[in-house]
Amino acid sequence: MKTTLHLKLNGRDAALEVAPHARLLDVLRDVAGLTGAKEGCGEGECGACTVLVDGRAVNSCLFPALEAEGRSVVTIEGLAGAQGGLSSLQQAFVQEGGAQCGFCTPGMVMSAAALLSANRDPSDDEIRDALVGNLCRCTGYAQIVASIRAAAGKAGAP
Amino acid sequence: MGYDYIRPASLEQALSLAAQGESALIAGGTDLLVALHKKKRPAPGRLISIRSLPELAGIRDEGARLRIGAAVPLADLLAHPAQARLPALAKALGVMGSRQIRNVATLGGTLCNASPGADAAPPLLALGAGVELAGPAGRRTLDLAEFFRGPGRTALQPGEIMTAVLVPWPGAGTQSHFLRRSRVAMDIATVSLAACFGLTNNRLSGVRLAAGAVAPVPLRLRATETFLEGKALTDETLAEAAKLARADVAPISDLRGTAWYRRELVGVFLARALRAGNGGKP
Repeated sequence: MKTTLHLKLNGRDAALEVAPHARLLDVLRDVAGLTGAKEGCGEGECGACTVLVDGRAVNSCLFPALEAEGRSVVTIEGLAGAQGGLSSLQQAFVQEGGAQCGFCTPGMVMSAAALLSANRDPSDDEIRDALVGNLCRCTGYAQIVASIRAAAGKAGAP
Repeated sequence: MGYDYIRPASLEQALSLAAQGESALIAGGTDLLVALHKKKRPAPGRLISIRSLPELAGIRDEGARLRIGAAVPLADLLAHPAQARLPALAKALGVMGSRQIRNVATLGGTLCNASPGADAAPPLLALGAGVELAGPAGRRTLDLAEFFRGPGRTALQPGEIMTAVLVPWPGAGTQSHFLRRSRVAMDIATVSLAACFGLTNNRLSGVRLAAGAVAPVPLRLRATETFLEGKALTDETLAEAAKLARADVAPISDLRGTAWYRRELVGVFLARALRAGNGGKP
C-alpha cells in the first residue's frame, strides 16, 4: 500500500510513491535516486543523512517521508548551481581539504548551509556548535571548520 | 515493521484515532523511530502523527504564564524571545541533542518520553510548570511533578494527548540556574540540576529545586527546598543542604557514572547553583 508524496525536491515539484512508514532518507536514495545523503548510524547521531526541510537541517533517517508533504526538501544535489557547478560552499570544501573519505561530507555541507543561511558570519565556536550533530570518522574537523569559515565571507554562499 | 502512518488534521481527529487503540502517538519521532527501527519496542499497527496539529502549536504569553504547544520543536522554543525570562530552561534546551534533533524533537515529546535524564525536565520542574492533557473525558492540567511515574512511564491515560506545557513566569527577583554534567556533546546527562530561588539580604525565598538522572524520574528535591526556605546563604547552610539533597535522590550506577558519583554531584551542583545567586561561579 503506497501513498503519493508531493513535495518540492531541490526546487522542483515532485510526486513520489512511498510506503506510509518510509523514512525520508530511503525515499531520497531509493525512490528519487539522490544518493548524496548517506546512512551512517540510522539513529540521529552521525548526521551523514542531513538534509534541509523548509530550510532547516534535519536527520533524514529520523524523518518520516510523509511529513515532507507540501514541504521543500534540499539535498546536497540541490546546492549546485543551475549549470551544475559547485556552490561556493562546496568549492570551499574542495579548496580547504574539507573532505577526506567523503562519507560525512554531504551532511557536513548541509549543516553548514543551514548555518550560513541563518548566520552569514559565524565564529569558529558557532561553526563547531552547528556541527555537533555531524561526525567525521576521518577526524578532519579542522579543515571542515576552515572550509566553512572560508565560505562564510564569500558572496553567494551557501 | 510496516506500520501505517496517519496525519490527522485536528486534535479531535487525533483523539478519536487514539481511542481506537493499537497505535502509538508520534511527534518529532527522534526517540520513537530509533526504538522502532532498532526493534527496541514492537511496532504498533499505526503511528498517529501529532506533529502538525494546530492545537499543539505555538508559544503564547498568557499574562501569568507562558503556554508552549506540546508539539513545538525545541529549536523554536530556543529561538523565542520568552527564553530571556527563562534562562535555566534555555540552557537546558541548548544542550539537548544536535541542531538536527532540536529542529524536530518537541518539548511535549521529551516529557512524554519520560527519560529520567530528560534535560528539559529539571528546569521545568523548578519553574513549577504544569502540563495540559486532552483525552476522551476532556482536558485536565497536572503539575509536571505529578506527571512522571517511572522510567518511560507517565500519568497519561490511554487515548490521552499532551497538548501544552504551562510555565508560570518567575516572579521579579527570582533567579534560575541549570547545571549539568555529561561525558561529551550530545550525550545524555550523568546528572542535571535546576534551581529557582530569590535571594534578598542573603536570605533564600521561594526555593524550588529539581534534579535529573538521579532517580527513576526527574524529581523535585522537596526536603532540601523546605530546609533552605528562609535560610541565610552560608557555608553551613550549603553543607547541610547538600547532605539533604543527596538523601533526596536515588541514583543508580551505569555506564555514565556510579550512584556515589551522582549523589556527590547533586550536592556540588546545588551548592554551585545557590552560590551563583550571590555572584559566585556557577
